Amino acid sequence: MPQVKLFDVTKRYGKVTAVDRLSLIIEDQEMVTFLGPSGCGKTTTLRCIAGFVVPDAGHIFIGDQDVTNIPPERRDIGFVFQNFALWPHMTVYQNLAFGLRLRKLPKREIKERVHDALALVRMTGLEDRFPRQLSGGQQQRVALARALVLRPRVLLLDEPLSNLDAKLREEMRFEIRELQRQLQITAVYVTHDQAEALVLSDRIVVLNHGRIEQIGTPQEIYQRPASQFVASFIGLCSFMEAHVVESSAERVLMRTEDGLVIETMSKGLSLGQAVTLALRPEFIDVSWTKPENSQNVFQAQLVRFAYLGENLDCWLKVGKWDVRVHLPASRVQKLDQQLWVRLNPEKIIVIPTEGVLL
Amino acid sequence: MGIRWQKPIFKALAIGLFVFIVVGPLSSVVLWSVAIKWYWPHVLPQEIGLAYWKQALGLQRDWAIAAVSIWDAFKNSMIVSIVATVITMALAIPAAYALAKLRLPLKAVFLLLFLMPKVFPQQPIFVNLLPVFTRWGLAGTLPGVMLIHILVCLLFGTWISTSAFKAIPESLEEAARSVGATRWQAFWRILMPLAAPGLLVSTVFVFVTSLTEFTGTFFLGLPFVTTLPMLLYSASGYNMQFASVLALVLLVPSLLFMVLTERIFRPEHLGSLGR
Repeated sequence: MPQVKLFDVTKRYGKVTAVDRLSLIIEDQEMVTFLGPSGCGKTTTLRCIAGFVVPDAGHIFIGDQDVTNIPPERRDIGFVFQNFALWPHMTVYQNLAFGLRLRKLPKREIKERVHDALALVRMTGLEDRFPRQLSGGQQQRVALARALVLRPRVLLLDEPLSNLDAKLREEMRFEIRELQRQLQITAVYVTHDQAEALVLSDRIVVLNHGRIEQIGTPQEIYQRPASQFVASFIGLCSFMEAHVVESSAERVLMRTEDGLVIETMSKGLSLGQAVTLALRPEFIDVSWTKPENSQNVFQAQLVRFAYLGENLDCWLKVGKWDVRVHLPASRVQKLDQQLWVRLNPEKIIVIPTEGVLL
Repeated sequence: MGIRWQKPIFKALAIGLFVFIVVGPLSSVVLWSVAIKWYWPHVLPQEIGLAYWKQALGLQRDWAIAAVSIWDAFKNSMIVSIVATVITMALAIPAAYALAKLRLPLKAVFLLLFLMPKVFPQQPIFVNLLPVFTRWGLAGTLPGVMLIHILVCLLFGTWISTSAFKAIPESLEEAARSVGATRWQAFWRILMPLAAPGLLVSTVFVFVTSLTEFTGTFFLGLPFVTTLPMLLYSASGYNMQFASVLALVLLVPSLLFMVLTERIFRPEHLGSLGR
């Protein structure tokens, strides 16, 4: 299985630049997710790799082959569509056999390979059904089998689960990941669902306005987001604006404009540097009485909450800042309750406001 | 509670209306075609017989009855309509595919060009075409009449076929490309079967349009090429019986075509239509 390489790929639609000089190397057998809001260029990039869209500039390689101007049918890819895109006038068997027949394989081999592919997605026995006789989940399994039956060099998936209901979606995530590992296939997966990206990916590529905001493993993206955009897009996050007031070997102090002084562990920041502090809910300790240790402890007020079952999703006011935390439902009594929050200095994410990587 | 009995009543009214609109005039046409003598104030013909049918079908030749054999006109009509339909659809299907699926820079211009003959009154166009057709030696010939029919039908043929192709999601074609089909293979193996019901409807429409085409044939075909609508026109003024026979004969090819195409429809084709 080969690498997929993109060099300065650019695609414009009128005045809108959908993909802006995007460069990326997807490793052999790697599963990479393009993650971003709608209109960020993730689908266009995927369609460039598939050959459905020809980029205005740049080059795309699959393995050593420059495929930039090669039509999709000669790229040896498998593509899974959001709307499944099974051919309604063909049975499951015919859907899978279509590509094999185009390659003029002997009948016996076609039969074997269709059977194997259906077994792979646990759809054996449904060969003679028409797509409309299948449920959404079954249709997407068949679509996956159709993409895999040709043993393509690269598997491309365009939001394949977003037409399925929530429960099925969660199951299928694991199935797709499992299949990709089992077949050791290079795969590119497009989604706007961060949970999907975190579960499925070796690496996540976060896209915004046609550009890469950050590339990294799910852990890197979650724990060390490179920008406020990435931090807010993946996981829940609250933000505070501040600047560096002390930067020594022992400690780094930040001061917000409303006078909160917050200690962090980030290094290499110069005095006066403007930063954004990103706070994940799970790294904020909440107590109902004032803690002994007063390092990074601030008074807070509960202004709003939403019931999530076991937990409450709470909005706290800390100084002038909104801070989101999850609290056990049993411990929250009423609005305007006084609380104390402690911000774990090791876990505060510091993003220099100019957008420089840490 | 009210809806229970309202629904059948509504249905009965709808069926009644349908029968009145379709069968009512038709039954009167059938009656006229066999009426030998039918004078006011009689509700039904005083004398019925098949004299006009026999005369029209060339089975007898009676100078007392004003009717001629329709076989020549029938033959002309069938030849013209079949050839015009085949050529029209052969042009309309690729054009429809291009309009529905390709990014054409001049799509709007192309469509406008198509619509042009329809935005002007038909008669002046045909009258102005006459000298051109005469210069080309097409006036009053079968090929000339076919050409006129194709011009008239092409708009409808392309229009309906375009929507047949447009109804097919882009991804179905892309899926075919992704498993190794060329654009051509995807067209024949995926798009054509899926568009078939719509294309068939389009074909029926084109055929019936050509079969009943009047104005163009009138200006550019007569007096050398006579089709069934021409005969019907000349008979309709003075001879209700002969006109009725012709009207019924004109129905036959359309009905045949309908029955034929209905048998070609397969449930899965209809299924994809209803999607």
